[in-house]
Amino acid sequence: MKGALPILAFAVLMGLAPLLVASNVVLNFLVFTLIIALAAQGWNLLGGYGGQYSFGHAAFFGTGAYVTAILQVRYGMNAYPAFTAGIGVAALVGLAIGFLAFRSGLRGSYFALVTLAFAEVFRVLANAAEMTGGAAGILIRLQANPANFQFAERGTFLWVALALVTLALLATLALERSRLGAQLVAVRENEAAAQALGVDVLAVKLRAITLSAAMTGAAGGLYAQYFLYLDANIAYGTWISVEALLAPIVGGAGTVFGPVLGAVILHGLGEATKSLAGSIPGIDLVIFGIVLILVVRFPPRDLPGLLRRRRRA
Amino acid sequence: MAKFEVARRSLVFGVAGVLAAPALPRAQAPAVKLGILQPVTGALSQDGEHGRLGAELAINEINAGGGIRALGGARIEMVFGDARSNPEGGVSEVEKMQAEGVVAIVGGFASPICLAASQAASRYDLPYVVDVGVSDQIVSRGLANTFRFGPGFGVVTSAALDNLVALNDAAGKPSRTVVIVHEDGLFGSGMARLLNAELPKRGFEVLETIAHPTPARDMNNVALRIRSLRPDLVIPSSYYAEFVLLARTMQQQRIRPKGIYCVLNGAASNYRFVREFPDAANLVMDCNHWPDPRKPKTAELRQQVEAQNRFWLYNTPMNYSAVMLVADALERAGRADRAAVIQALAATDGAFTKHIMPYGPTRFVNGQNQAGAPVNTQVQNNDIKVIFPRDFADAQPVYPVTG
Repeated sequence: MKGALPILAFAVLMGLAPLLVASNVVLNFLVFTLIIALAAQGWNLLGGYGGQYSFGHAAFFGTGAYVTAILQVRYGMNAYPAFTAGIGVAALVGLAIGFLAFRSGLRGSYFALVTLAFAEVFRVLANAAEMTGGAAGILIRLQANPANFQFAERGTFLWVALALVTLALLATLALERSRLGAQLVAVRENEAAAQALGVDVLAVKLRAITLSAAMTGAAGGLYAQYFLYLDANIAYGTWISVEALLAPIVGGAGTVFGPVLGAVILHGLGEATKSLAGSIPGIDLVIFGIVLILVVRFPPRDLPGLLRRRRRA
Repeated sequence: MAKFEVARRSLVFGVAGVLAAPALPRAQAPAVKLGILQPVTGALSQDGEHGRLGAELAINEINAGGGIRALGGARIEMVFGDARSNPEGGVSEVEKMQAEGVVAIVGGFASPICLAASQAASRYDLPYVVDVGVSDQIVSRGLANTFRFGPGFGVVTSAALDNLVALNDAAGKPSRTVVIVHEDGLFGSGMARLLNAELPKRGFEVLETIAHPTPARDMNNVALRIRSLRPDLVIPSSYYAEFVLLARTMQQQRIRPKGIYCVLNGAASNYRFVREFPDAANLVMDCNHWPDPRKPKTAELRQQVEAQNRFWLYNTPMNYSAVMLVADALERAGRADRAAVIQALAATDGAFTKHIMPYGPTRFVNGQNQAGAPVNTQVQNNDIKVIFPRDFADAQPVYPVTG
């Protein structure tokens, strides 16, 4: 497939990291960045390509995470089928939320608010339910064994996360080239025109949100397997909704590499400032904020766009 | 030739130096690195800052007193990590501490951070001493590296019930009816369920159980309901902000039960509440962590903290005590080796007296200090006093509250 080469190059380069870097600090940082990149790639499908800005991707992230954890802890299921089920249930939740929101014709800020509300409802429910462990949270037993989807080496987990991110990148590329991708972009640019041309707008949006939710749900499942602990604020908290939309917006929404680039820039910058000015608490968050202000203030609103503009100027 | 001269000379000095070294007194043993993990940014930063302060004061005191004697007077060097009020922040700091070569980690504060961080530390058999986190899951995972000096949730709640009965009996059983107010998450709901099951067995009648969400912006309806029920006791199990709101609303509406009795509430053992809303806080009781007022060190430490214009919260004495526990283990281990420190921590006994918590002789079973226990505090005259158990108390309980 044309365009797959940069993705494979990225996968190979990143895949070399555990062989070249012995520091678990760096590997841990890369794993977390990859998990965020995967969640962000999910958001990018719906928000970047489809123009449907969701403020509530936590609903999918949390569902993927909780299903992965609950099936193992409460029903003794193996981690791999539990993880797969997590992705499936997250996709179903995406389909359901999409059906309710899109069928009523919610767009723009109304759609954003509805997704935010869904994520909040899930958070409150998860906080009160017995099944999720409520406010005390749910703990996956530490058994570092590949059979349990837990690895003694952080490098191995990096490869697993990288494989999923690479798959997501390839899927995004395939979507970009596909009929569905073209229809999605048409819906983003002008919904009425797309409809007039015979695009089934509802069906296109539903497919997009289902795929999007599955990807973000996979990120949630990975989070659960990596940190082995969840509570309602981690799984359904606003932090992940914000992370999932910031990375593509900074890195380039509606592009294949945007979310990965955004996640690496935002988290890399944060980590770098933390280690350079470690004694000032919260300095990395200040930098985070400044980058966001710059990106939103100066269109085209992503960092690659800014760089291109500078070169042209 | 000159070059050779220099080389030869340095060789001679070098050899002489190596030979002379054992004869010199051991001037400075290498410092022992100790990881201190606290959330100092985000929602938990107040607790984290006060935890860090406690650890800092303990480390300064140990170093000023000649360091770890068993290690030739080695100084303790603090490697601080900001857990950022979330588990992944905690894990990433544990990785950094591991890379720095710390011998143990103390802290975490919140249960989710403690759970994730101690698990990350267990990958490296790195001893982890929990400072506060009360979740019973922390010490039930079979992690050999994890220790908790303070009490867990189960111990605190059963002590709270026992102490309530003892308090009421000693005052001639003035209270019989109770209203429970709880936040609707698992913490509050779980506590409410437990109280509903246990209070009737101990001679109390629960008039009503009122739930409210977190965050809650208004407590007027809850207060009005309490007013109409006229209970003897109000038992809230909510988080800090909601409880402060409830206490203020009750004060404004002049609702005065015979007692407000909190469990792990945080507000009634927090000087911020006492300073900011002294009237609402007055005579509120809490069952929570608190240092031993009988120990002279407690007053000394409090003075040091207040000299820095900081509030006296339980985080400071708990972290002070946890660092002292690790120092004690290092003394007994005799080497800055993780496995030896874990072994020494597990073998801690009553001979460890450098902590300032009101606990009996230390004994660890599966990482949990069996002597860890809460106390009852009461806000009296703009101060937080220990009223129960009587052996530790520095004030008489004002109960029932009249007027």
